[in-house]
Amino acid sequence: MATKVRRLGLVCGWSLVAGISMLPILGIVVGLWPQEPLTFAGFESFLGYQGLTTSIVMTLLTAILSSLISLYIAFVVYSQYHLSQRLQSFEKYLAPLLSMPHLAIAIGLVFLFSDGSIFFVDSGLPRKGLATLTLTIVIKEVPFFLLIFSALGRQLPIKNWLLQGKALGYQAYRCWWFLVFPPLLKQSRLALLAATAYTLSVVDVSLLVGPNIPELFAVSVYRWQTSFADGDQVLGFWSNVLLLLLLVVSVSLLYAHEKLAFAGCKSLATQGRRFLVGRISPIFKAWIPLSGVLTALMILVFVLWSLGYDWHSSRPSFSQLSTVLWRDEWLFFALPLQNSLLIAGLAGLLGVALALLALELQRQRGQYWPDYYWLLAIILPQLSMVLGWQILHIWLQGGYHSGWIVLSHLPFTFAYGYLVLKGPFQNVDERYELLAASFGYSLWQSWWLVRFRLLLPAIFTGLAIAFSVSVAQYIPTIMIGAGRVTTITTEAVVIGTGSQQNLIALYVLLQSILPFMAFFIAALLARRFRGSVGG
Amino acid sequence: MTSLRFKVLSRRFILCLLWIFAAAVQAQSESTTVDVIQQSSKQWQQTLKAAQGQSVYFYAWGGSKAVNDYLRWATREIARQYRIRLIHVKVTDPSEPVSRLKAENGRTSAIDLIWVNGENFAYLKQQGFLMGNLWATIPNSSNLAVDKLPITVDFGEPMEGFEVPWGIGQFNLIAEKALYPAQQLSAASLLDVAKNHPQTVTYPRPPEFHGTTFLKQLLIDLSHGDPRLYQLASEQAKSELLPALWQYLDKLHPHLWQQGLAFPSSSAEQFLLYQQKNLSMAVSFNPNQWLKEKSTQQISESSERRYFTHGAITNSHNLAIPKHAPNSEAAKVVINFMLSEKAQREKFSGVWGDPSVITTLFDEKATMPAHPELHSSWHVVIEDIWQQKYGG
Repeated sequence: MATKVRRLGLVCGWSLVAGISMLPILGIVVGLWPQEPLTFAGFESFLGYQGLTTSIVMTLLTAILSSLISLYIAFVVYSQYHLSQRLQSFEKYLAPLLSMPHLAIAIGLVFLFSDGSIFFVDSGLPRKGLATLTLTIVIKEVPFFLLIFSALGRQLPIKNWLLQGKALGYQAYRCWWFLVFPPLLKQSRLALLAATAYTLSVVDVSLLVGPNIPELFAVSVYRWQTSFADGDQVLGFWSNVLLLLLLVVSVSLLYAHEKLAFAGCKSLATQGRRFLVGRISPIFKAWIPLSGVLTALMILVFVLWSLGYDWHSSRPSFSQLSTVLWRDEWLFFALPLQNSLLIAGLAGLLGVALALLALELQRQRGQYWPDYYWLLAIILPQLSMVLGWQILHIWLQGGYHSGWIVLSHLPFTFAYGYLVLKGPFQNVDERYELLAASFGYSLWQSWWLVRFRLLLPAIFTGLAIAFSVSVAQYIPTIMIGAGRVTTITTEAVVIGTGSQQNLIALYVLLQSILPFMAFFIAALLARRFRGSVGG
Repeated sequence: MTSLRFKVLSRRFILCLLWIFAAAVQAQSESTTVDVIQQSSKQWQQTLKAAQGQSVYFYAWGGSKAVNDYLRWATREIARQYRIRLIHVKVTDPSEPVSRLKAENGRTSAIDLIWVNGENFAYLKQQGFLMGNLWATIPNSSNLAVDKLPITVDFGEPMEGFEVPWGIGQFNLIAEKALYPAQQLSAASLLDVAKNHPQTVTYPRPPEFHGTTFLKQLLIDLSHGDPRLYQLASEQAKSELLPALWQYLDKLHPHLWQQGLAFPSSSAEQFLLYQQKNLSMAVSFNPNQWLKEKSTQQISESSERRYFTHGAITNSHNLAIPKHAPNSEAAKVVINFMLSEKAQREKFSGVWGDPSVITTLFDEKATMPAHPELHSSWHVVIEDIWQQKYGG
């Protein structure tokens, strides 16, 4: 009887996990299914598009480089903070930066530092260009990687590794690079994939601060796919196919980078040469305070904008500030804010639970599936994938209530939950569970009392990320919900296409509130529940 | 010199005649073929009755506070007068509902009403996704100023009752008075401003709609309004008319914002740059935006409206109902309300400032001298060659 129940549970579990993880594939197949017969002429006109090669090279380079730069910076910053007692729970300082949407950082950055900035100095940061785009992405991704490292660091015996290295007479920075970096890099592969895929297909930030002669590839893809002029839908199809190909290329480039980095670390370790990064790394201690100041400045700018402050009037003064806009809009943003909270709460919770289920099922089987499979929702081009879901959803005729929206967010929250939890999950020290078993606890009891408890800090981080990912979803919410359910993001994204600065600022702030609370609470809770190696 | 000027003038004259004639013909054909039902008719009373208690999901761009506020006003009015719930589904791009209708492919739609024009309308009409016969079945469409405004054809695609004009777009610049003293603007004077005040002039990157229209206005000016621009673009016409535009842009681009190496992605972005005093001009399709923005202190007091010498390219933005809209009766009542004097007056004199499309409120002063849209084939040609020459 017991084995029967167990087997039934396994079958149910696997079908749940399989169902959620197959949704992205289903979506992309249905969404990209060519509606008109494909012709060679269409393909030819796609290849003949002026500037295509440059655009593709630029896009690929930015995507790979910006995520690698972020990873390396985050690693150096982490190595500087890991053992400092005072700053051990630095996550809560990251909360504001993590909760600001990419677009908000782009707006703030060009306003503060580009030509005509409020500092009246030309920092040389172009309004539109690869440098600005890369900087925006790096500023936003470094805290993300720090969060991932910190979740990993709670399960990896980093302290012991460092001690062993020290005992063998290596300087601290060498221990970090030779002993800690390789396993950390391997464990954060999923995060690296996600960051790269994001940059490869991001549209809103590219439109604002990306170069546009030629424009970045994701922008062209979006433009063709959403245009119904003659021939553009065909271009949209081919560009999506190419985007898929680019994703494959970048995945293999990242794997190649991993191999190279391992080889590099090994040869440096055996040759015993000095290297520069080690000596300049203390500088990176300034990263968190600096980005804190930057975030504070940006928030200040947005608050002042939303209160109607005008930097460019001939006589700017604080006496003109008023809360009229906040009071006017309150009636209209209260409901979307509440919807966001409920949808993201549910989608985040379910996503993380499913991710844990997927990990546990694989552990029991003793075999883990390839990483990119679980991350398909993040990696595949979103617009085509969600279009497929939209077609299926219309075909099912199930109405447009928020349950569907939660379901459409689930693949994303699941993927991010999996991304955060995989490393910590695999690194839970199995001896604890063995010990529990020897005390006579059942498998389920020991899982719940030992493994789950040890994973709690990572689960909090995962929940915060999954929650904020759900809050940020625009395309699935509008395409599956058909506008019946408005969230703070559907409002903010739409307002962002307009030209009213005070309103844009107001919605940027509103959009950041929920994720900010999630990250802040998660950071406080994670501090209370240490992982298996505690610090 | 005189002969050239005469040529230009006579061409303009012929063009005007053609324009008036075409408008008259259209007006006549509409008024003769379309038999609009009366408010008091039995059919309309039935529509009103059926519409009570229905909800209308209206898919419309939601990026403008002015438009959103106007729709909030309309929602209250419609609820009060007709007991219909109007719900503004805010979209970022007019293509979103088009993509949904394509995905629905004839099934019951989630959309009851859409704000549409141009290529999106042409596509929806050709695919048979729209409900026809709107002009005849909505009483207030008899108010439409078809004899004064170019509102029966949408970018070369005859409306034929598949959409109803709602408002008017006229291409204009919002510009600093000191730099652009004259009411009208020519290609040559714009080049002078760009040379004397480098980095302050730009336009949205084509194929963004405002950017392409900016190029069309330049082409009209540089070709002195050649009549061939209003016909299908022939190879000969292209090779004779377009080089002037490219030569002009070659001269203009080095003086533009960012030396023409980057362009704003949208008119909204350009407007923000203008607001932040990085630019001396922005582009707009709302002839009264400058006034509204000034009254709310969004832009400086020294901002003025400017338009190109041959007149502002004028088109309409329209309302349409999907063929399989579940609440089409209520959607018709909403359109009927939107064409009422009350709604059109509020639209023009309230926060939005969008000109009226009905005869009783037609106001010469509210609009600029109108110039017809070029034939739609020119639209494609200009965008393609611009991309070849400057976009890659």
